[in-house]
Amino acid sequence: MSDYSWKELMAVVFSREIKDTDKITSGAHTEIFFAATMLAQKTHAPNLKLQLGGSVTLCNVVDQEISELPKTSTGYELIRFAESVHDHPDTFLFYGAPGGADYYKEGSDLREVNHFWFADKFFVGGIQADKFGNTNMIGLGTRDKMTFRGPGTIGINDIAIGVRDVYVFLTAHDKRRLVEKVDFISFPGKKVCRDNEYYGGGPKWIVTPKCIFDFDPNSLEARLAQLFPGVTVDDVRANTGFEVKVAKKVETVEPPTRAELEALRTMVDKTGVLRH
Amino acid sequence: MSNKRKEVVAPIAEAASRIKDGMTVAVGGFGADNHPMAVVREIIRNGTKNLTVIASATAGLEIDLLIGAGCVKKLIAPYVGQEMYCPIGHNYRKYAESGQIEIWECSEYILYAGLFAAASGQEFFAWRGGVGTSIVELNPDLVEFTDPIGKKKKIVAVPPLRADWAIIHVGWSDPYGNGQHLGARFGDRWLARAANRIMIQTERIVPNSVIRKNPFMTTIAYADCVVEAPYGGHPYAAHGFYKEDVDFIQDYVKCSEANRKGDVATWTDYLKRHVHGPKDHYAYLETVGIRKLLGLYTHPIVTW
Repeated sequence: MSDYSWKELMAVVFSREIKDTDKITSGAHTEIFFAATMLAQKTHAPNLKLQLGGSVTLCNVVDQEISELPKTSTGYELIRFAESVHDHPDTFLFYGAPGGADYYKEGSDLREVNHFWFADKFFVGGIQADKFGNTNMIGLGTRDKMTFRGPGTIGINDIAIGVRDVYVFLTAHDKRRLVEKVDFISFPGKKVCRDNEYYGGGPKWIVTPKCIFDFDPNSLEARLAQLFPGVTVDDVRANTGFEVKVAKKVETVEPPTRAELEALRTMVDKTGVLRH
Repeated sequence: MSNKRKEVVAPIAEAASRIKDGMTVAVGGFGADNHPMAVVREIIRNGTKNLTVIASATAGLEIDLLIGAGCVKKLIAPYVGQEMYCPIGHNYRKYAESGQIEIWECSEYILYAGLFAAASGQEFFAWRGGVGTSIVELNPDLVEFTDPIGKKKKIVAVPPLRADWAIIHVGWSDPYGNGQHLGARFGDRWLARAANRIMIQTERIVPNSVIRKNPFMTTIAYADCVVEAPYGGHPYAAHGFYKEDVDFIQDYVKCSEANRKGDVATWTDYLKRHVHGPKDHYAYLETVGIRKLLGLYTHPIVTW
């Protein structure tokens, strides 16, 4: 029995992914990603540019005390952390969080070729994801008969066209969620992004409670890249609805260190929302 | 001829009665914030039917309530839910799955593109996002075309989304319809600009001199109608005044979930307790209770 929860593990894993030079946009609220970005800002990424949800709230919490993880992406508690708030349509017209050009000068001209460089990282949920990383928030069934109405696409397709790395995130790993082909596409996977010449790179990872898939650069299909502690390749195979291809070397994700957990619990998630 | 300026203040009941069966209504706010709930509840009390609703880009359960009360025929929204409280609105699911409401499938920017087109009197607004998704396939009003300049890339044409009325909650407004948000504005200015008429629901009506003190803050100018409704956003937050009422929202989620699962009585009872029972907005606030309401206080965000 580990001394951390799955949600805490996720927050730490994503926090590690975040660099000081990143521009991150977070859509509809999830406590895990909010905690991950706040943790990064507090520990190793004080210049992280974070844009939150509907009010285009640009937050920096380096010197702010977080008493409790907020429940929504637009509430008073979040506005308190904001340094700039815009009208929501500005999100799409002004490329999300501004700044960050220097980042792209470091050995890359991506900024110059991408005229809609929305953000470096974005987190996307879904009721289904398929082997190309297409995700579905619309529903299950067919156009004529939707047997399950999903929440809706929100703005993930709008943002997809201009985000470098999208992290597709599923809260459970089973054959119903990881499928050969999604019923509807809300967020386009790597192949659709390439076929349509989007500036955005599409999904970088599909993350589930069991593992992390990355993408084969040639076939643009998902492949098993990392396992969470205690999970086996067979376990992933048995619970995935598409044929699981495996990267040359499958690594196991490093569990949260004592220091990471302490930082998370004392600076970001004081009330232990992620512990349950 | 009078040289006196016309005031547009109306009581809630009179204002809500201007929303007629079959109209298209845009409802402001975003997520769990700044929804014009007092007017929404009055529309339900009036038994208004067959509305086409243009929701905010992240609609909350104010839209779910309108659907569950049987007021909605068609919904234009990229999302209905309440984030962590309720990822998918239960009435929205129930009515969509049974085909009782029609959904105009879209995304946040596609919604805005429609509002921009309406606001600026254009035939359509163009957007690349949505190409390669199922949104275009599910929404026959959206038309994919090839970029006429570069001749290569696909683009989506979004037709105007025009409402008969936009109903927008603000912090304060003067009697002439000049309203100021005292917190985030979300997409409210665009919902308002794309509508033929604007109804402001305001926490407080203030003298015109307050507006003139800082006209840079005016977000909705010259609305057609101003309704004063203190705590009119309850159970949602009103930026600058109070936060959302979590217990109340959780009770809503529970009762609407019961409705989705076939327990109509629990839902009918909910509507009776919080919408049809109280005879007006102030009676509603009395059912919530003074301790609860005052406990939701937040410090003003905007000060001068």
